[in-house]
Amino acid sequence: MRGLVAGMLAFGVYFLVQAVVFHSVQVSRRALVLAGLWLGGLPVYVWFYTWLPDDRSVWPAPLVAPSDVTTLFSGGLLYFFLFMGYAQFFYMAESSVGVRTMIELASEPEKGLTLEELTKRYHYDWMLDRRLRRLVHAGYLIEEMGYYRTTARGRLAAAVLKWCKRLLRLGPGG
Amino acid sequence: MLKGLVLACAGFALFQIIHVPLFRLQVSEFRFRTMVRIAFALGILLLVVYLATPPDLGFLPAASTKAGWAIDLLNGLLVFAFLFVGYCMFYFLIDRGFSGRIMIEIEASPHRRLHPAEIAARYSLEMVLRRRLGEMLEIGRITVLHGRYCNTKKGRWSAAMFAFVKKFLQLGEGG
Repeated sequence: MRGLVAGMLAFGVYFLVQAVVFHSVQVSRRALVLAGLWLGGLPVYVWFYTWLPDDRSVWPAPLVAPSDVTTLFSGGLLYFFLFMGYAQFFYMAESSVGVRTMIELASEPEKGLTLEELTKRYHYDWMLDRRLRRLVHAGYLIEEMGYYRTTARGRLAAAVLKWCKRLLRLGPGG
Repeated sequence: MLKGLVLACAGFALFQIIHVPLFRLQVSEFRFRTMVRIAFALGILLLVVYLATPPDLGFLPAASTKAGWAIDLLNGLLVFAFLFVGYCMFYFLIDRGFSGRIMIEIEASPHRRLHPAEIAARYSLEMVLRRRLGEMLEIGRITVLHGRYCNTKKGRWSAAMFAFVKKFLQLGEGG
């Protein structure tokens, strides 16, 4: 239990710190801050692990794990997975068109919205521009006189995505 | 603690072995639901296999069998569940990623370069919204009443929760 409890406590600290940071500062490079804070939490995880008592003195026999490398690794894995799960939730809140649509529909709870009315509420140029800027910033695209082309990294990513789509028969998607 | 980890990894490998050929053989409208059902069934199988096999699985070192069965099983189930969640993240990136679609459209264009207006012509806002609305109808977040889209109770709750998160974390209107 020691590893799992330390992983959960470290994630709890991470969650609170990132909530305070994002609430009090307007962050522009969100991925960097999210990942940076998670990395900063790794020593916190190790500290919690060393601070917690050995399982034998606290938990009943079925829940006792030896304080070895596997237990330390398992707790670290939990800390990593919780972060990945939270990052998925964070980006769903931040970028998801579906989430934005539900929020727009919530503004008209009684009569709802038609597809045309929903379309008018979006600024597609802004949506597209935001994604293009991110792709340029991440090194996947290059902008040349208003046109965008892929870098070697972008070509590789596009090829991998296209191959996975074809493998799983997912259609063009997006 | 190794037995749970080994079984979790084996369970996830089995998930891939079942899920990939299934998606290739049959185009289902309810893909995500299918994935969840496979993972759930394998989670139960993992539990049964854990209880029915010896602590060393017949090949693990004796030193790895010292953990209590409950913590080992809990750890294995957690790892299996999170591997599935992580894979879902990857799956949604492939299936629904707008940025991925942009890169694929650019690569597929004759000169391998596109103007934003050309991207918009290939993948319009209406197409984006139609797809998202279809997905949300499928998972019961919205419904259609007299040709108008409305949130269901589940959708209203999700909208309120995400609106709060967006506001609290200063994420902007997004989308």
